[in-house]
Amino acid sequence: MELIRLEGAVIGYKTPLLPPLDLAVRAGATLGVLGPNGAGKTALLKSLLGLLPLMGGRRVCPQGRAPRVGYVPQRDRLDMSWPLTVLDVVLMGRVCMIGPIRRYTARDRSAARDALQEIGVGDLADRPLYALSGGQHQKVLIARAIAAEPELLVLDEPTSAMDPAAERMLLELVARLKQAHNLSVVLVTHQLTAVAGFATDVALVDRERRLFQVGPAHEMIDPQRLGQLYGREVRVAQVGGQTAVVIGDGAAK
Amino acid sequence: MSDFSDFWAGRDLWREPMIAGILAGAILGYIGVFIVLKRMVFVSAALSEISGVGVAFAFWLGAVMGVNPHQHAEVPVLLEATWFSLLFACAAAALFSFQPGHRKLAPETIVGLGYIIASALVLAILNSPRIAQEAHAVGDILFGNAVTVPRSQIYALAAASLAAVVVHALFFKELLFVSYDPETAVVQGVGVFKYELLLNLATAVVISVATRAVGALPVFAFTVIPAAAALMITERLRSTIVLSVTFGVVAAALGYYASWVEQLPTGASMVVVASLFLVPGLLKILRRNAV
Repeated sequence: MELIRLEGAVIGYKTPLLPPLDLAVRAGATLGVLGPNGAGKTALLKSLLGLLPLMGGRRVCPQGRAPRVGYVPQRDRLDMSWPLTVLDVVLMGRVCMIGPIRRYTARDRSAARDALQEIGVGDLADRPLYALSGGQHQKVLIARAIAAEPELLVLDEPTSAMDPAAERMLLELVARLKQAHNLSVVLVTHQLTAVAGFATDVALVDRERRLFQVGPAHEMIDPQRLGQLYGREVRVAQVGGQTAVVIGDGAAK
Repeated sequence: MSDFSDFWAGRDLWREPMIAGILAGAILGYIGVFIVLKRMVFVSAALSEISGVGVAFAFWLGAVMGVNPHQHAEVPVLLEATWFSLLFACAAAALFSFQPGHRKLAPETIVGLGYIIASALVLAILNSPRIAQEAHAVGDILFGNAVTVPRSQIYALAAASLAAVVVHALFFKELLFVSYDPETAVVQGVGVFKYELLLNLATAVVISVATRAVGALPVFAFTVIPAAAALMITERLRSTIVLSVTFGVVAAALGYYASWVEQLPTGASMVVVASLFLVPGLLKILRRNAV
């Protein structure tokens, strides 16, 4: 079953960024959207979510309604100076479930605290936003997405500016949440290691080369395809049961 | 007779302007928290100026139609300056709610353009020979001279404040969400444009009515200074709002008192007193930087 599907979609702001494309998010799948900086990944994501009108083609919700989305934006786009507590931010995930006029109930507060607890930052609930580290802030945004009780979890560059260990822990957390909540996941990133071994499907995107390819991860995490994407030699190897991707010195073969 | 006794004895003279100032300080202190946090402080200046264009335009239109604005009974309801002031401010608020979608035209550029064009229009209309007699009245509205405030303007300000409070009370969580993180709000199905428009319209109505009652300078100051002062010393939204409203109210009351006692311009006195509330926050920042 599919949650959202783009058919012959032409995406862009004024001019098309990519060739017309077909893309589906399957229930239970993890779609990694991979490409260099400025490749058009965020535009693709916005089109998929219906935030950016398509210049052509159509967006279909096969269930007859848009899926409930938990969204984790790029954290550097948010202002940490607002006088909000962590709980205030996580409660925002409940706004669409409550509807206008009604106030947060004890159930909403409990759901928000549970989400924080599940992410492993339950003790931060009453802490001011500005006092969080970057990693804690990222987890709070994931907790807010989970508090929305989503079917689809969407993460936009969640591991940028993270060290490799923190990146690994965050991906493991997302994998655990996916399992626990039976989620579909869309992960947009320019970091190869974030997708390799984590995504079930991968879309390769590059505006410069007018490139869009999508398929199962084991087919897409391929030296030739990735070499084409980055214009460099790419090596893919299994290390300790995990997929490692290394960009080489030479040009793509 | 002491200054305060003298002041108290003249309470029949200052009651209305004092009430208007306190009401404006309270509601603008509240709305200012959103304005400052959303980094759109010049929206209030632009809305004040644009509502001033509405006032000036009403006088100009009346002059063209041969209506004497000083004979209130002769002024048709639809030519009342208040309606034009509200109409112009609400139209501007609606315009400010649109995302330009153009990388070279940022929202603050649109606000700046609104301010500049409105200022030029006010000057042009005020200097029109058709309304030479009314120029002083319009000037009072624009530059702030809350010495006398008709009771009708207090009622209008109370009604506008109540409407804004009701809007915020009913939709507080939505207004907070779309103000803090509009991108996520729209993904989660919260109508960002709708709530942004609601927030801006409530702001426009209050600023338009408050500008007529107490003048543009105190209105701009009350939307920025109390909120900025509160944000520097608090960490919670609730306490920020409570402090900002308190600062607005106290600045209006003490500012009016100071202007009475020292024979100073009323609007400017309110702004100077409001500025004093910035001192604790600035000291806190200085102390933190010194460590």
